[in-house]
Amino acid sequence: MATSEKKSLTGFFWAWGIITAVGVVLSIWLPQRYMPEAMSNDAHLTMTTMILFSICAAPVAAGVYAGALHILRNYRYRGEGVPPAAEQIREHTKLLVTWLTASAILTVFVLVWGLGALASENSNTSSNPLVVDVTGQQWIWSFSYPGSHVQSNELYLPENREVEFRVTSEDVTHGFWVVNMGVQVDANPGTITTIHTTPDKLGVFEVRCEQFCGLNHAFMDAVGYVVTPQKFTSWLAAQPQQS
Amino acid sequence: MTTTLEPTESVTQPRGGGLARRQNFGTAVAGGVIFAFLGWLLARKLFYTGSDNFSDQVAVMTCVGWMIGFWIGIGAFNAPFKWLLGNDNSRDDDLYYAGHNQGRARYWKYTTDHKVVGVQYIIVTMGLLGVGGILAMAIRTELITPGTHFVNQQVYNSFIAIHGMVMILALIVAVAGPWGNFVMPIMIGARDMAFPRLNALSLWSLVSAATLLVGTLAVGGLPVGWVVLGTVADQAGVGMDFFAMAIVVFTVSTTVASVNLITTVISMRTKGMTLDRLPIFVWGTVVTAALALYAFPFFFIAEANQILDRTVSTSFYVATGGGTSWLQANLFWLMGHPEVYVILIPAVAALFEISTVMARKPLFSYRTAVGAMVSLAGLSAVVWAHHMFTSGWAPSLGGPFMVTTELISIPTGIFFLVLIGTLWRGSVWMRLPTVWMFGFIFNFLIGGVTGIYLSDVPLDEQLHGTMFVTAHFHYIFVGSVLFGAIAALAYWFPKVTGRYLNEFLGRISFWLVFIGIQITFGAMFLSGLKGMPRRDASYSLAFEHTNFISTIGAYIIMIGMLILFGAIVTSWRHGEPSGPNPWHANSLEWLVPTPVPLENFDVMPVVTEDPYHFDKEIVSS
Repeated sequence: MATSEKKSLTGFFWAWGIITAVGVVLSIWLPQRYMPEAMSNDAHLTMTTMILFSICAAPVAAGVYAGALHILRNYRYRGEGVPPAAEQIREHTKLLVTWLTASAILTVFVLVWGLGALASENSNTSSNPLVVDVTGQQWIWSFSYPGSHVQSNELYLPENREVEFRVTSEDVTHGFWVVNMGVQVDANPGTITTIHTTPDKLGVFEVRCEQFCGLNHAFMDAVGYVVTPQKFTSWLAAQPQQS
Repeated sequence: MTTTLEPTESVTQPRGGGLARRQNFGTAVAGGVIFAFLGWLLARKLFYTGSDNFSDQVAVMTCVGWMIGFWIGIGAFNAPFKWLLGNDNSRDDDLYYAGHNQGRARYWKYTTDHKVVGVQYIIVTMGLLGVGGILAMAIRTELITPGTHFVNQQVYNSFIAIHGMVMILALIVAVAGPWGNFVMPIMIGARDMAFPRLNALSLWSLVSAATLLVGTLAVGGLPVGWVVLGTVADQAGVGMDFFAMAIVVFTVSTTVASVNLITTVISMRTKGMTLDRLPIFVWGTVVTAALALYAFPFFFIAEANQILDRTVSTSFYVATGGGTSWLQANLFWLMGHPEVYVILIPAVAALFEISTVMARKPLFSYRTAVGAMVSLAGLSAVVWAHHMFTSGWAPSLGGPFMVTTELISIPTGIFFLVLIGTLWRGSVWMRLPTVWMFGFIFNFLIGGVTGIYLSDVPLDEQLHGTMFVTAHFHYIFVGSVLFGAIAALAYWFPKVTGRYLNEFLGRISFWLVFIGIQITFGAMFLSGLKGMPRRDASYSLAFEHTNFISTIGAYIIMIGMLILFGAIVTSWRHGEPSGPNPWHANSLEWLVPTPVPLENFDVMPVVTEDPYHFDKEIVSS
């Protein structure tokens, strides 16, 4: 019986370090390069969470990859025919306990962070949010501003004021998604669902449908604008009034 | 059956039995078509033509006719009818139904031999993967540039739904079907499954259900997405009825198969095969079967409600009648998330099995591995609403479901520990199954980590419904489960055919598929991060480059899969002969001759230890 010897772990640790470093760089770079411009408090939180989780995942993923590389480099049988039996190791309690502890700690961290973020999203501090009624129908979004009799297919929002979207549908289920603000909720027929967010950056943003809703689902988009409160008031006043 | 058969095959063909001896797949299709026509005719006479539900009633009756005719045509009712008439199958009948001395013809029949059923599952899986793959290529071709070019939106919308459901069906059976049937009974030292006739029933029910599912393309398609959300499905045409009927029959098939697997492992183990000596793959199939038994009835109810809504105007999911599509979504995901683990666990368990043999080492921490599979199955029953974080249903449950979902990373982490731990300090034999296993490790990690983002409610409110989700679960389903299934095929192929799966073609295929996956789904992650929704027939210019790259990658995967298909077909006939135990493994399936004789064992084996002692070889090949 041939026993495979313990190989030096230096290479493993080097690989671990290098892959972790690459992972951390990607964790910071990719979300900022590719995610849509963050235009609300929720979108900023989304970006931070994305980067943080990626950084946490980097050493774990790197550990597994470095382990696989270490096996491929050192424990591959290079002879002909059937490899000889390896040392018949069945358990390694210390490793098992370390692994379980580490994964439990990481899970708890991710959970605590996520629950905290969820709580901060839900604790709407504003007592006077701007209410916007959102209605989805195949395949168009319409927005109305209660109290002003204004209805529009473009979504105008004032900067730095909390918005409460009250979302419903006229026909099938749609998915109301304010892309740059990191919030989405389904528009269900016969029910009103709500979400809150606070736009904090002036500019153009997009609204898309993210729940499959039939033939023209792919084209169910709307454009939105975050404007100064003064501009918002004057836009609202300039709109045709619906009775 | 208790008698042992001679391993040598006699030349006399079984006689008698009349028409029942002429039944095969052809008569099943004929029966299905005739009864479908009768159902159609009956419905048109029976129901009021002016009713809103008329077309759905006719479609459902047609499907019911197809199912009954198919079952009669294949011979599923022969034995029960005999029973009702007070007779029973003779020994000769039993031998006939087990496919004794029938050569290749037995693969087209209602054959009860578990090895024949296993091979039938391989063929069904490959057929489903082929249909799903063609649809995938149509989807990616359409998405190569923005705008709609090759298929119109209606057709595209059908393709995404049918691609999704066909692939889910294919992967549910991809490992548990072929190997849960072919090798599992031999592994535990049984002569067949506990209920051989139910085994054939589950296989042929799957075939007829899959036919209905693909048949939706011929009756107007299924332009509603694979989750068939209640409200939008309500607008769909008769394709939706075909889909719902296909699912109803499919759930019958999985339930029958699960009961059979569980009963076999509980009651048919040979002497000395205690639970802690079971090969780990057997544990995997039992846990999977138990989970399927829990999960699929929800799917049955979800689709039965849809049929009732459409045919007799109930309003389970219709808002104007007081129903809600949240009910449909809950029922669907109560099935849908356990189903992910029904798909995953057999592949992981097969890789555990392969890792020990290829590393010439016992499985690292056997009990922990079993515990991880069981706890994963348990947890998966209480995570379903993470698919509904943004649906508006019960927002206060976001937190609890986030907790249960993220706990899944602990048993999943153990899977990595067991695999890496088994290979560590082994004598790793780099054969085809091992190569695909390393691919699994690479992809499963990416699929797993990206799942953690989606389990986080605030992050999910950005990523839900985007291509990020699509890329995530394709890394799991294609990058991990399919890799596990191919590793399992390469590993057990010699037991089925007596030949190796071509190593050279297999490795070329591996590299193409592996690289193709990184390109396709890597770019798809970026599409999703940028904000591209799923299921869109067209997209804005912002997603142009990443989609182009994904499509190129998809073609690379296709070429790789075609090469693998070529390798399977050629190796089956002309591959290098392998002998009965090419991997020098000690589990029972390798200790019987190849081809495995009917009823597997001449003398029932007695088991004295688990199969993972590689320092002493029981039988050389």
